[in-house]
Amino acid sequence: MPNDANVALVELRDVSKDYFRDEIRIPVLADTSLQIARGEFVAVMGPSGSGKSTLLNLVSGLDRPTTGTIIVDGDDLGVLSESQITRWRARHLGIIFQLYNLIQVLTAFENVELPLLLTPLSRRQRAEHVRSALRIVGLGDRMDHYPRQLSGGQEQRVAIARAIVNDPVLLLADEPTGNLDASAAHEVLDLLVQLNAEFHKTIIMVTHDPKAARRAHRVLHLEKGTFNHADIDALEAAR
Amino acid sequence: MKFLPLIWKNVMRNELRSLFTCMSIAVSLFLVTLLYAYMAMQAEIAENNKGQNRLMVMHQSGLTALLPLQHVDRVRAVEGVKVATAWNWFGGKYKDDRIPFAQFATDPKLVFQILDDLVVPPDQLAAFERDRTGCVVGTKIAAEKGWKLGDKIVLKGDIYPVDLELTVRGIYDGKTESADRKMLFFNWLYLDELLRNRREVFAGMTGTVFLKTESTDDIPEVMRKIDSQFASSDAPTRTMTEQAFRQMFTEMLGNVRAFIRNTALAVVFSLICVAANGMAMALRERTREVAVLRSIGFGRILVMSLVLGEAVAIAVVGGVIGSLGGKLLFMLFDITLTAIPGMAGGFYIPWSTALGGLALAVAIGLASGVVPAWQAARVSVVDGLRKVV
Repeated sequence: MPNDANVALVELRDVSKDYFRDEIRIPVLADTSLQIARGEFVAVMGPSGSGKSTLLNLVSGLDRPTTGTIIVDGDDLGVLSESQITRWRARHLGIIFQLYNLIQVLTAFENVELPLLLTPLSRRQRAEHVRSALRIVGLGDRMDHYPRQLSGGQEQRVAIARAIVNDPVLLLADEPTGNLDASAAHEVLDLLVQLNAEFHKTIIMVTHDPKAARRAHRVLHLEKGTFNHADIDALEAAR
Repeated sequence: MKFLPLIWKNVMRNELRSLFTCMSIAVSLFLVTLLYAYMAMQAEIAENNKGQNRLMVMHQSGLTALLPLQHVDRVRAVEGVKVATAWNWFGGKYKDDRIPFAQFATDPKLVFQILDDLVVPPDQLAAFERDRTGCVVGTKIAAEKGWKLGDKIVLKGDIYPVDLELTVRGIYDGKTESADRKMLFFNWLYLDELLRNRREVFAGMTGTVFLKTESTDDIPEVMRKIDSQFASSDAPTRTMTEQAFRQMFTEMLGNVRAFIRNTALAVVFSLICVAANGMAMALRERTREVAVLRSIGFGRILVMSLVLGEAVAIAVVGGVIGSLGGKLLFMLFDITLTAIPGMAGGFYIPWSTALGGLALAVAIGLASGVVPAWQAARVSVVDGLRKVV
C-alpha cells in the first residue's frame, strides 16, 4: 500500500443509483459509501448485474447518481455540468475497456494520441508523450500498426497506453483481462501493477477473475448494491 | 487542424461508400455549375453589352417576316443613330454540319464599327471590304474548322435557295472572354446579288437592321423614332436593345431562369438526402466509437464538428471534381453548348460560378451532416459502451 493511502482520491457518500424500466424502479446501488485512497489499486468483484459497471460509470462521470455525492480528486462531480465533466474526464481519468475499443482506422500511435488532441500540446510534444506511453506498455515497435495487425493482448496494451498518455490520476479498468488468454491477461495485469507501483496511478478494476483481483491491494465485493469484503479464496474455489 | 487526419481517416473508412457519395455530388454539381454558368454568362454578356448602345430592328410580326433593305438607309438617317447595317441570318450548312453555325450577311465597312468589342487586323479588314465574296470568321470557328486566310468555304443555303462560295479574308478575336468567336460575316451585297439573279422574293430584303446609337441616353428616343417612322409602312418595325433581342431567343425555350433554379434546387435537395443517408449509415456503424470518444473527453460539440467535418470533406471533394473540374474542362476544351448559335457566345464557366459551386458543396456537406452530427452528439456514452462491454 502507498504511504499516502489515507488521502481519499475517490469518495462515494451515500450514493444510490436506480434505473427505470417501464416505470419500474430497479435499484442498483443503495446508499453506498466508499473511499479509495490516492495510489491504491482496488479490485471490484461481484455477480453480473451487481452494479460494478454502474460504479465505474458514476466515478467516471458518465452517469449521475440518483442520490448521494461523488468526489474525485477533490471535485464534486454532482456540481459539474456535462461539458465540465467531459473536460474533467479528459484531464483526470483514463478508462480501459474489456474489448479495448480502439478506433480500427487509426494506428496504435494515432489511437494513443486521441486524448492529447484535446490538450494544447504541440504536434511534437504529443508525439513525445505517445512514444513514451507506448514504450511503457512495451509497444514502442508497434506504433504504426493498426489494431487488426495486433494480438488481443497488444490491443489492450495500446488501450492502456491511451488511458495513461495524458497522465491521469485515476485509471478505471472494466474487465481488462476479460477477453484475453491467460498469458496476455498476466501481461496486462503486470502492466497495471507496474503503473500503480512505479507511476502511482490509482486504479479501480472491475473483474470476475479472482486471480486478477489478487493483484490488487484491496478487493471489494459488490452484491445487491452494497460493498462487502471479498473472500477471494472462496470465490476462486467457487469458480 | 489537428483533427483533420482523424476526419480524413473516417472519410476513407468505407472507401466505396465515400466514393459513390463523392461522385454523385461531383456529377450533380457539374450539371448545376453548367446551368448556373449559362445564367452567369448571359448576365455577363448583358453587362458587357450595356455600354455598347446597340439596337436591333426587326419586323413587327417577328423574325419570320423580312424588312426591305431601304429601311437600313432610313434607320441610318434617324437622329442619334451612329452606324446601321443590314444584318441577315443566312443559316447555311457547311459540309456535314447538322446545326449551322452563326453566319450573317452584313456590311463589311460597318459591322466592326458596331461590334467594336471584336478585333480584326486592319489589313484583313481591308481585304474583306475589297472582296465581294470575302468573309471574316472568329478565332474559335476558324480553329474548329481548320480555316486559315485564303481558304474557300462553301455554305449550302437552307433558308435561302442559294449557295455561297466565300473566301476567308480575315479572322477576328474578341476583347472579352464572353465575346462570341464562332461567327462568320460576309457581304450582304453578295447574297442579294445571288437572290436577284434567281429573282427570289428574298432579294432586296434583310432579316434585321443592326445599329449603334451615339449614346446610351439616345436609346429610348431612337427606338421610338424608328418604330414610329415605319408604323404606317408595309413593314412596321419593332426595335429593341441587343440584350432584349438575345433574351427573346432564350425565352423561346420558356422561363429558363426559373427552370434552371428549380432544377438546381431539386438536385441540391436530392444530394443532401443522399449524402445525409450515407453519413447516417456510417455513424450507425460507429455508435461504439462515438461513445469511446465521448468517454475519453470529446465533448458533444467536438463530436458534432467531427461528423460535420467528415460530411463537408466528402462534399468538398465532390465539389472540387464537379465544379472546379468542370471549369478546367471548359478551359482546356472548347465545348459549345448553346442551342442558338450567334446568340450566346462561346460557352465557359466563370470563376465566380465555379467557386460558387464549391461553396454550394460546403453547404451541401453541412446540411447533410447536421442530422447525423446531432444524432452522434446525442449518443449516450453508457448505452453506447454497453453494446460491447
